[in-house]
Amino acid sequence: MQAAFVLLFLALALPARAQWSDVPATTVPKNSDGSPNLNAPAPRTADGKPDLSGVWRPDRNQKCPPDGCPDNQMSEQFLDLGWGLKDGLPYQTWAAELVKKRSASAGKDDPTSHCFPGGIVRLHTYPTFNKIVQTPTLVVILSERETSYRQIFLDGRPLPNDPLPTWKGYSIAHWDGDTLVVESTGFRGEDIWLDRKGSPLTDAATIIERIRRVNFGRLQTQMTISDAKAYTRPFTVTLNEYLEPSAELMDFVCVENDASGPQFLGK
Amino acid sequence: MRWATLAALLVMLHGATAQAHHSFAAEYDGKKPATFTGTVTKVEWTNPHVHFFLDVKDPSGTAAQWEFTMGAVNGLFRRGWTKELLKPGDTVTVDGYLARDGSHLANARVVTLRDGRKMSGGTMADEPAN
Repeated sequence: MQAAFVLLFLALALPARAQWSDVPATTVPKNSDGSPNLNAPAPRTADGKPDLSGVWRPDRNQKCPPDGCPDNQMSEQFLDLGWGLKDGLPYQTWAAELVKKRSASAGKDDPTSHCFPGGIVRLHTYPTFNKIVQTPTLVVILSERETSYRQIFLDGRPLPNDPLPTWKGYSIAHWDGDTLVVESTGFRGEDIWLDRKGSPLTDAATIIERIRRVNFGRLQTQMTISDAKAYTRPFTVTLNEYLEPSAELMDFVCVENDASGPQFLGK
Repeated sequence: MRWATLAALLVMLHGATAQAHHSFAAEYDGKKPATFTGTVTKVEWTNPHVHFFLDVKDPSGTAAQWEFTMGAVNGLFRRGWTKELLKPGDTVTVDGYLARDGSHLANARVVTLRDGRKMSGGTMADEPAN
């Protein structure tokens, strides 16, 4: 009975929130007017390393057409990973032809459009949020997209030999000063798109991400992709992500939509 | 008969799958804007897209059902949407874009709620700006 009163008190005392889309940013440095100071220096963990923890969203650097910006801004690199590179991505001939074909059909065969995972490149560009949880030997990236996880091991293990290819591959990392250097291999060979254009990734790929928390509010990743099957040379792109100091992850279960199929049949 | 049912089932399942998270341009025509006013009959707060249904009356008074899609629940709730804002029985106006296939389906760009407030449906432009 006492417990019931306590619960009732808590229910009345706590502000009603329908969801955790706006939670107090208690651990964020503040400006004199009380707003979050996202230009403050990056925080550090107890062992002195930069702390990458937080809820992050991809860049929203999409150019606006003359008739105004779209309601939902995305990253240019979500659409075209080669955006910002003088000559775009250095496709092998077959890859260039494939991208042309995929672009012509408005990306309708994009695996993410059919609820398949996006892979680690699009983890940095897909317009859903990620949460980084950091320990000295393991960095976990929780993604609301696919309600999924990525593990990056810092415990000294080597990359696996001849691994079972996966959507996210296998990732190990070490610190180079204040930069986390992540090396990944072991990707599926045919069904990972790097962008909405349809730039491919193959099982020959190695990806190096140099991740740095530039300041409190910005994470910058220099990503070098070496994939001789699909590209004539390695290329490097720079991807920015921004802290969402008051946000919490919300499940994004893409197949919910497929579950609505029986309703269409029954009504 | 059994085969006909199966074929219909497959067509409908394909239709449902095609509505899964996709490029705007693959399903809607940005050059075909349209405005609808009607009564909400159902709202599905689902990912990857929120769907809702309106009974829209033509000038003769005949009602037709239209389906509208918005962005993902995550993005919409972060932009101020709540489940209370759109409920069966509400009369709302939708400015959006028609589906390419000519069906009673549209992308809801702006929804004018029962109290007159205008809310963005989170339309994405997924083709690089030229």
